Amino acid sequence: MRISKGGLLVVLALLAPLLVELRTVLAWVNVELSVLESAAIGLILVVAIFVWAFWPDNGNDGPTSDSSPR
Amino acid sequence: MNIHAYEKLWLVAAMLLIVGFIATITYGSVALGITMVGDQQDTVEPTELADDDRFDDPRVEQVGENEYEAYVVAQTFSFQPNPIEVPEDSDVTFYVTSRDVIHSFSLVGTNVNTMVIPGEVAEMTVEFDDPAEYGVVCNEYCGPGHHDMEGEVHVVSEDEFDLTELEADGPDEVETGDEISVDVTTENRQLEAIETTITLEIGDETLTEDVTIEGGETLETTFTVDSATLGEGDHDWTVTVDDHTDSGTVTVADDLEDDGGDDDE
Amino acid sequence: MSNAYIDQFPAEAKVIRAAFYSSFFALALGGVFGIIQTLHRTGYYRFIDSADYYTVLTAHGVFLVISFTIFFLVGIFTWAITTSLDRGVEDLRFTWGWYGLMAVGITLTGVAILAGFTDATDISASVLFTFYAPLQAHPLFYLGLVLFVVGTWFAGVDWFRSWWAWKAENPDERIPLPAFMVLTTMLMWYIATLGVAAAILLFLLPWSLGLIESVNPLLTRTLFWFFGHPVVYFWLMPAYMMWYVLLPKISGGKLFSDPLARVVFVLFLILSVPTGIHHQYLDPGIAEGFKFIAMTNTMFLLLPSLLTAFTVVASMEHGARQRGGEGYLGWLKALPWRDPVFAGMALAGLMFAAAGFSGMINAGMNINYLVHNTFWVVGHFHLTVGTAVALTFMAVTYWFLPQVTGKQLWSRSVALGQVVLWFVGMTFMSNAMHRGGLLGIPRRTAEPQYDGFEFEAAVGSVAELDAQIALGGVLLTLSLVLFFANVVGTALNGRSDDLPDNSYAGTLSGPEDAPQILDNLKLWTAIAVVLVIFAYTFPLLSIIDRGGLFGPELVELPLSTLDLESISALALAVEQSTIATLETTADTATAVIAGVIP
Ligand code: HEM
Ligand SMILES: [Cu+2]
Ligand SMILES: [Cu+2]
Repeated sequence: MRISKGGLLVVLALLAPLLVELRTVLAWVNVELSVLESAAIGLILVVAIFVWAFWPDNGNDGPTSDSSPR
Repeated sequence: MNIHAYEKLWLVAAMLLIVGFIATITYGSVALGITMVGDQQDTVEPTELADDDRFDDPRVEQVGENEYEAYVVAQTFSFQPNPIEVPEDSDVTFYVTSRDVIHSFSLVGTNVNTMVIPGEVAEMTVEFDDPAEYGVVCNEYCGPGHHDMEGEVHVVSEDEFDLTELEADGPDEVETGDEISVDVTTENRQLEAIETTITLEIGDETLTEDVTIEGGETLETTFTVDSATLGEGDHDWTVTVDDHTDSGTVTVADDLEDDGGDDDE
Repeated sequence: MSNAYIDQFPAEAKVIRAAFYSSFFALALGGVFGIIQTLHRTGYYRFIDSADYYTVLTAHGVFLVISFTIFFLVGIFTWAITTSLDRGVEDLRFTWGWYGLMAVGITLTGVAILAGFTDATDISASVLFTFYAPLQAHPLFYLGLVLFVVGTWFAGVDWFRSWWAWKAENPDERIPLPAFMVLTTMLMWYIATLGVAAAILLFLLPWSLGLIESVNPLLTRTLFWFFGHPVVYFWLMPAYMMWYVLLPKISGGKLFSDPLARVVFVLFLILSVPTGIHHQYLDPGIAEGFKFIAMTNTMFLLLPSLLTAFTVVASMEHGARQRGGEGYLGWLKALPWRDPVFAGMALAGLMFAAAGFSGMINAGMNINYLVHNTFWVVGHFHLTVGTAVALTFMAVTYWFLPQVTGKQLWSRSVALGQVVLWFVGMTFMSNAMHRGGLLGIPRRTAEPQYDGFEFEAAVGSVAELDAQIALGGVLLTLSLVLFFANVVGTALNGRSDDLPDNSYAGTLSGPEDAPQILDNLKLWTAIAVVLVIFAYTFPLLSIIDRGGLFGPELVELPLSTLDLESISALALAVEQSTIATLETTADTATAVIAGVIP
């Protein structure tokens, strides 16, 4: 994992204000998202963050799962 | 005292921000003329509004070409007058006071918003452009019925707008053969003269009179109808001036058992 | 053997425990009322009469912003004084005395409010926590508030006594930072509460007892806000103290600057009170000039908060780098996000920054027309007191509970979930409240649905806003449930020997860098008083001149009918039972629990 579990939880929590405010900001430029669309964007972001968080880090300090013998 | 260089920078930025805010607001007050509700108006006695020149009869008055004054009373749980009607393209100064507790007078979705405090009169001038209807809410808790306290401001087109007050008065009953006379009082609260027609409808009869009422004047007219043509029974009548109406009912009877009337002419 | 607070100061730990439990009890009640009114307003679930909504709202306001916040404050201030001066209180009976007075006071007020739900008595006090005349509460309501405030005054005396005694023994030392924060905050509080004391003792209480005919509604309202603005700093200062003295430690580092922390508290002492008129921007009867002065003072009051933002972030960064954090923003990853104490405070701080923006809008006097008394304002203060303060308090509870009970926290994971849930819930609720306010939806209204017109939403619809508010409210309530689970779970735990030491953060730049003058409390108090005199003499005189000291004849709106005999009987009964119960609540609870659990 690239981020601690606590960190991941907090990042996910921060998505909430981001999504909620995104709708407001987009409305200024006349893009109106419905609740469903916002939720869909939210879901995509959640998945993206999960993938990012659990993707094996290709730096030197590789994830622990790699150390298992093959 | 040693202050970190970044912290100094932050301090300066913070001060600039603060001064910037104060400057913006001062600009709003001075250059844009957004004045605050203040202490321009004298105090009133909340329990004696019925004897107050301005608030005994809550109303809209014209004071200049496009200038109007609205005297509004807030009380648990309503606003008077309601709705408040003003013309498009006008400057309206609201004077609002309370008969009892603290209320507010707030036009929904606009920045017209003031507290209404018993004993004090809130003064606020508002420019209205196009015709529209605004909701008015009381946004200060004023008792258990607070959520029922609402009103409306109607901004109407020039053609629709008038400040005509109509009041008509007729007898309750007359003896067949006597005349029925309906007294009509029409007040023009606008500054300009109006030309209009006053109409009385009673039974199948329609009587009209074309009138001109000078600005600020009150006109008294009397319509008379012969009761014999109407016949015995109850007759509804309606007086109409533009959009205003007033109505009543008169009973025509052959024998009135009334005592005093010396009506043999 | 650990070196936790309870080991150092067992007797004081008991007082703090009692204060915390009183605070949490109020939070629980407030939370229940909070969700009731959320579901009622939004129309999702209405089981009370709309006329009773205002009794619920009064209870929500008073229990949360008077009892929850202030009981918590006296708890941590007692901790701060005893820990930083390293001495117990001077006289334990006196300490229990002020706690008892506060408890009795708030009980009387609470009874007066809650009695509004039943027709069995005529007592009621549905006047909201601002109690604007001519709305009139039962005398018990005012009396209870007076006792409560007097209790806090004695608490301040207690802390000053500790400091004087300490100073006599350490004449040349600087006041330790936590003690400095307590003392400056209390000085501000003494000045601020004069306003509400005058409003109640001179006018509202005699009026509710029928001793005077009438009051000047603008005068009592102005006196209320004389107190009503600084009280928000009274809620905020303990949270700030936690951000200054606990957060750096929890992040693994030190406080960036002791001198600037002192400057910040001094600024709050001198600027908090002469700003209250900013709550009255839209009041008729107060000249525009006075409003302008309040506005400038308010803007300058942004300064200490902006300085705090810097110091807090800088201290966190220092902590993160001590823990091996690197890079421009990469250090953020090195912070202890797993720790609910840290995560809670950090999220609370973040929300406070957001609240700063809506606060600047409120403070702009001509922009205030747009938002005054709309739902926007409710959104704003659920970010400030409802999150910056409340969430910080809940987060630090996870540190304090083990300190004052000697028991391990029941569950750190539940605690982390709780603070995160609060953040998410509040995001939903407060965002929709702000947006609703811009549409003109009023606050303090049981049914913001009108016959003659509808609110027009810019994005989405009013129904969506309602749904978002209800969702937020439900999440917040769940978060509270988790919080209480942890408090109870911890109380049920056995005594632990493996607790962290009782200590607070060191400083990078210590008191030796702070000019001596900063510790001159007399000077700052004098300046504060002078500023208050400048800001308030003329407005008050002009209000009295206009409306009279006792106002015009009024149609009062009593929300109760007076029955003196029942009051004194009730007051006596309540007083006796509360003294008996409250002083021992904490022990009884633990004793019972200990008895049940083998
Ligand atoms: C479960 C969590 C909470 C919920 C669901 C909640 C909900 C609400 C709602 C919907 C209102 C608006 C009522 C109205 O204006 O008609 C309100 C008002 C208020 N809330 Fe909360 N709240 C919560 C927590 C808090 C906390 C933690 C605090 C402070 C520490 C707080 C302080 C206040 C205050 C002071 C008012 C205004 C009372 C008044 O206008 O007289 N709330 N709350
Ligand atoms: Cu109201
Ligand atoms: Cu304020």
